[in-house]
Order: sequence, then structure tokens, then C-alpha cells
Amino acid sequence: MIFKCKNCGGNSVYSPEKKMMYCPFCDSEKSDERQHEHAQMQVCPNCGGEVTYTEHTSALQCPYCDHYIIFDERIEGAYAPGRIIPFRLGKENVKGLIRDKFKKCTFAPTDFLSEVRLNTMTGEYIPFWMYNYNTRCQFQGEGVKRRVWVAGNVEYTESSYFHVVRDMSIAFQGIPADASVKMPDGIMDLLEPYNYGEMVPFQPEYMSGFLGEKYNMAAEMIESRAHAKMESSAATMLQQSISGYSSLTPANRSITAPPPGTEFDLLPVWVYRYTYKDKEYPFYVNGQTGKIIGTTPISKAKVWAYGATLWACLTAVIAMIGIMIV
Amino acid sequence: MENDFKKEAQRQYLHFFRIWFIIVGILLVVTVLVVVAKNMTYTSRERHNAQAPAERVYDYAEVLTDAEEEQLRELIAEKEARIGCDLVLVTMRQPVEGSAAKEAYGYRYTDWKRNMQDIGDDFYDNHFYGYNAPYGDGALILDNWYEGQVGTHLSTSGRIFERFGNQEIDRALTYVDKYIESDPYKAYSASINYIADVMSGGRTELRGIFLMLALLVPIIAAGVFVGTHLRSKEGKNTTTATTYIAGGKPVMNLQRDDFVRKHVSQRRIQTSSSSGGSGGGGRGGAHVSSGGHSHGGGSHRR
Repeated sequence: MIFKCKNCGGNSVYSPEKKMMYCPFCDSEKSDERQHEHAQMQVCPNCGGEVTYTEHTSALQCPYCDHYIIFDERIEGAYAPGRIIPFRLGKENVKGLIRDKFKKCTFAPTDFLSEVRLNTMTGEYIPFWMYNYNTRCQFQGEGVKRRVWVAGNVEYTESSYFHVVRDMSIAFQGIPADASVKMPDGIMDLLEPYNYGEMVPFQPEYMSGFLGEKYNMAAEMIESRAHAKMESSAATMLQQSISGYSSLTPANRSITAPPPGTEFDLLPVWVYRYTYKDKEYPFYVNGQTGKIIGTTPISKAKVWAYGATLWACLTAVIAMIGIMIV
Repeated sequence: MENDFKKEAQRQYLHFFRIWFIIVGILLVVTVLVVVAKNMTYTSRERHNAQAPAERVYDYAEVLTDAEEEQLRELIAEKEARIGCDLVLVTMRQPVEGSAAKEAYGYRYTDWKRNMQDIGDDFYDNHFYGYNAPYGDGALILDNWYEGQVGTHLSTSGRIFERFGNQEIDRALTYVDKYIESDPYKAYSASINYIADVMSGGRTELRGIFLMLALLVPIIAAGVFVGTHLRSKEGKNTTTATTYIAGGKPVMNLQRDDFVRKHVSQRRIQTSSSSGGSGGGGRGGAHVSSGGHSHGGGSHRR
């Protein structure tokens, strides 16, 4: 489907700043209407140009007429997302954030923050599986509290032994794991957390103006990632509930959870792919919070030159102080 | 375009190091001024003693070649002008211990150390050494090569006496000990260099420390700088253990901490005390020579 402006026939998109559908061509708000529902996937329903898409693409931009096309069959049925966090930060906002963050990056190539380069940034809805666990943490063991004091020249150590029992339930909600092969897992983890308070039921309107994917794999296939996050969090909570002991000897400790409930949601990510010396340096920005993850390419020659200068300056300073004092 | 990037890079470079370049520039000017001022004070020292002979090297034991003696004279002349102190070297091969030696040479004592001290002090006094005046600022290295009574005495006088404590005297003599077996010339010149170093305000230890600092600190700092900038981090993890917990905290079903027993152990504390002391300053080995002049000094017998 394509969202068209009723007033001018242009491509209506979702505006993160206005939080509503907007036509950038005639400045109309909420003038959108759906067209070309269930169109053929190989050609752009607007201009008839041939579009290339991958196995998982659910939304893309036509390279000929720049219209944003949403593939109905990839947001419906088994692929229908339950909820979505709409983009809260638009491209201009994110450009500003990236500029601020890397302004002081002396060793980044000089065109890294150029307008032309930054404009290549795309907003993408990434498929995420959300896992809900009802976790039970149980602990039994011996805790020792030690108190040491000195009287005269004798040091006394008092050891008090306790029988420690803990039994707690933790309800985890929405532990995310990205269901997109092209998105690096570690990076997606670093983009967290998203504020789920702004999560809304899915509507295709939110996707107009952005790229998107359906989930690449079933929830069970990547459950282990969420499980690991759940376990480490539960272990920390258990640890924190047993405080004040000098030493702790567990006799029985368990963290268990029945199979989790899952939901399929879409989360917003801005992607800036910067190419330097034939190598790609991707940047990912949380489309809701603005958290930026990625490394700038570094000109090694520049770093070494700066290091050498620093060395020379320091040596000169110390040597001259030495000459004056000694 | 390419040119613009280069210019921009140059501007960034200068901007990045501007403070450093300013500091280095200012220090350079100050250092040049200080060095010039120091050199001016050196040259202003004039010798006020016409009574003492020009000779400084007396190789009675004949352990130095003529060329070595000449080199030592040159070294001494240079150092004397710099520090304003006379530096004299005397080598001998003569018994200084026992009653037979006392009889034969008319010493005041029978022991090695006190006789060496007398000979050194008297040689200095009898030749009226002293840069500022007779019996004045200077030092004399007396090295005895007589078999079985080998050793060195350093006699200090005037400003060197004031400046040299036992520690400095010991170090000056240690330089002789270190090289005398293999190369007497090196032994004497090292000792003379050390004395001149101390007197010119140059503390060799401090110089060593600065050399170490100048070599190590910049390398480490530059290494850390390069290391931290070559690797860059992708981002920080900003989730916490409670991020995905509904309600932000777990529900505690059961929490018990039951006291079981108590146990007290004791340990006697070993006390130890130590004391240390250190002395400093000059006037090491102070005494008055037979001629009635104040000297300092010390000896190493080998």
C-alpha cells in the first residue's frame, strides 16, 4: 500500500515531530488515504518501476519515485505486529544529536558530519520479539556476619551464623531480542532500553516514510538471548536481596521460569551507514530515545601524528624544567 | 575539496595542541634566559689566590701516563673555573701505617686513616691551595698505592667542606674505588666530575630522576593517548537489572534470616617498632689540620 495525500497526490508520511500523518509536498496534515492495497510486490504501485526487496522487507522506498511502499502481506496475518513504538525523533533531530556527539571527535574523517553524508540516514522499523517471564528465584544457605574489634593487643573476631532463605517471584515484561538477521545483536542490545510507555497498537500509517522488516525468525529460535538477560537480571535481584553478610555459602539456589509469553513488535532505529576507505561504519540511533551506538572510523595516521606531537611536547617540557632546576 | 580537508585537519591540529605549543614556547624562552643567567654567574667567578702553584696533578706513584695527566689538568682547569674551587690530585706510594713509618716519615700517628688525613690536609695547606684565598675553597684527592696500605683520602676545605657531608665524601671516594683497578685516569676524572657536579648545584640524583622522567613519562602518556584513541567504544550499556521487571521490583514470597550460632575467636597482635634516622648537610668529617685550618674529608681503604 501507499499513503497518498488527498490534496496533492503526494506521498503522505508519518511525521515524528507532528506525531501525525503529514504531506511534505503541500504541508497538509492528516490528509492521507490508503491506495494500492495488496499491490504486486515486484513493481512500484505508484510508478511501475521495478523494486528490489529482500526476503524480509516489509516497507521500502521506491528508488525511482521516492514513494514509501508498504507490503501488505508482510504486515498481516502471522506477520502482523502487535504493537509499535512510532519514531519520536525525526531525521533533523537525529542529525543534530550525531553532530553534538561527534563534534569533538578529532580523529574522525572530516566529512563524517557533512550534511550530504548525514542525509543518507534511513529510519527503519526493526522487528523485535518481546518475552515475558514469570521467574521464580529460590535460595537457601548459610550466611556469616563477622565483626572484628581490638582490645589491648588482642584482636577478637565474632562470627554469627544465619540460616538464609529467599523465595521471590519476578515478572519480566518485554525483554527484547531483535528478530532481524541484518541487525547485529550486540548493537541492538546496546540501543536499549526503549520506553514501552509510548508503545501503541500497530497501524500501517506509522510505517509510511520509513523502511521495515517482518520478523526474520520465529520467537523460539532467539529465546535464548532473552533468557540470558532474564537470568542475569534475576541473579542480580537475588544477590541484592541477600545483603549484609560477610560471606555466603549457598546450599540450594535456583532460578526457574516456565516458557515465556511472546509478542511481536516493531521498534524504531535510525541507521547511518558511513563508508570510509571502502569499509562501512554503521551507526544506529534509538529512534525513540536518541541513544547513539557506533564507532567513528579513525584515521590511524592522524592518531600517531598526535601521539608523536604529545610525546615531543612532554619531553621538551620535562627536559627544559630539568635544565632549569638541575 | 581535498585541499579543504587538509586545511581543516591542520587547523584542528593547531587548535588541539595550542596550549601545549604555548607552554613549550614560554618554557623555551625561560630556559634560555635561565641558562644564560647561569653561564654569566659562572664566568664572573675570579680567582683570588696568587700564592698557590699552577700545578694540580702530582703523580708521585706514577700511575698515569703523561697524556692522562695532561687531560686531567685540562679537566680540572675547566671545572675549577666553573665551580670556583681548587681541585688537586696527589698519588703516592709510601707507607703510612705503623710505628716504623711514623719514625721514618715523622707522622703524628701510627694509624692509616689519621696519617692519610694529615698528609692530604698538609699538602693542601703547604701549597696554599684555595680558589678564593690560601687555605680556601677546594678539595684534594690523595691516593696511596703502597702495597698493603692502598686507599684514597679526600680532603675538603672552604666551600667544599661546607657543602660535603659524609654521604657526598663517600660517593666521591666510591667513584675512585669503582674504576681504580682497571683505569686510574677514569677513576680520578669520575671523582672530580662528581665533586664539580655537586658544587655546581647539580645534584646527580636529581638529574637522573629528570632523565628518567623525560624518557618515561612522555612515552607512557603518548602510549595511553594512542591506545585509547585507536580503539573506540561503540556505546555503553544503559539497561539495569530492573529495566524489564514489571513494577520495577520483585515480589518477595519468603525472606528469612534465622540466627543459628555465634563464635568468637581471638588473636594476639604482634607489635613491632622500628626507628630510623638520617643525617644530611655538609661538614662531613670535620677536623682541624696540624696547620690550624679547618678541613673535612674521609677515606676509603682498599
